[in-house]
Amino acid sequence: MQPPGGPPQKLALPNIHHVIAVASGKGGVGKSTVAANLALALAQISPPGKGEMGGVGLLDADIYGPSVPIMLGVREVVDQRTTPLPLERYGLKLMSMGFLVPPVQAVIWRGPMVHRALVQFLTDINWGQLDYLVIDLPPGTGDAQFTLTQTAPLSGAVIVTTPQDVALIDARKGLEMFRQVRVPVLGIVENMSYFQGEDGKRVHLFGHGGGQKLAAEAGVPFLGEIPIDPRVSECGDQGEPIVHKYPDSGVAKAYQALAATVIEQLGRTDKGPELPEVQL
Amino acid sequence: MSASGAEALTPVALSKEGADRLIIQWSDGHRSVYTWQHLRNHCPCAGCREERSKPPDPFRILKPSELIPLAPLRMPPVGRYAYKIVWSDGHDSGIYTLEHLRSLCQCPQCSVRAVNVSEP
Repeated sequence: MQPPGGPPQKLALPNIHHVIAVASGKGGVGKSTVAANLALALAQISPPGKGEMGGVGLLDADIYGPSVPIMLGVREVVDQRTTPLPLERYGLKLMSMGFLVPPVQAVIWRGPMVHRALVQFLTDINWGQLDYLVIDLPPGTGDAQFTLTQTAPLSGAVIVTTPQDVALIDARKGLEMFRQVRVPVLGIVENMSYFQGEDGKRVHLFGHGGGQKLAAEAGVPFLGEIPIDPRVSECGDQGEPIVHKYPDSGVAKAYQALAATVIEQLGRTDKGPELPEVQL
Repeated sequence: MSASGAEALTPVALSKEGADRLIIQWSDGHRSVYTWQHLRNHCPCAGCREERSKPPDPFRILKPSELIPLAPLRMPPVGRYAYKIVWSDGHDSGIYTLEHLRSLCQCPQCSVRAVNVSEP
């Protein structure tokens, strides 16, 4: 369960004010879309030069299936001799395994390699000063989650779900993982909550109220609903997330509200003290 | 289910007592006592769990490293939820969650409770 090479050291990231993990129990709930758009919405509130540190980063921790490159319009593998990492797009600092490996090449790694890559992404990349580093976790409760909860100074986690029971069941597992490793959960965001037609009527395609119910059951805040809009996937495929391309759309406004709520929750959340050291 | 760890039990201080004991002072005021051997005997790593589940092998030959008295070298925190013990024989894969550590307490009060629970 533990990578070899000594005990996991808690990483110090003194230039990053808040590290936020975006997680889901299940794949396919739009977690990477939420992470990218949340990061952009946070950057609109906290651009470089503003806030305590200034600036926002997005770290794609999905080593096996990185989505950040395509969503943020990075189509080529990065030549590190000519292009320093992290990359910058739309005011965000970005890092992803997809910048290093061609999209057609599979990364076939065991846990210790994933652990090492993520630690390098956190510590060897010159993130500069950031108010927020958003980490897009892969789905599930595996190696990447384990590494980051053990080593990264996480301020909290945002759990993404969709309204259906099949997604809620796995979101509960994600919540339970963070509870067990004592990382505060900032709240639950429900993606693909409803479609709003031109007449303003909301159609709840995948059911209604699941995210809210889960949040109440878990005793964590409900951070909001993100509506369905066909432009979300178009924007993702074209490499310009909807918060940047259509900042006045309903979806973008939902993300802006989500970013404000996340900041509010970060202010309220007590991470608790670091564990005391013992001298032997 | 609460996702917040704020109300969970946390250690306030850990110290070594003599050569063979660990003391943990908890946030609820409880003082836990452990021998290092007890902690090693309950190592939660997959290898040790599997070893414990097997019947004892009467023909097992001890390795030279097993003849040297076992000692903890380091006990670093893991995140905010566990400690890891690095032992003098090189073993370091056991991650002792705070809940597990609390359950292993050998103070007289907890030992009596453990005996009562295990009795039919």
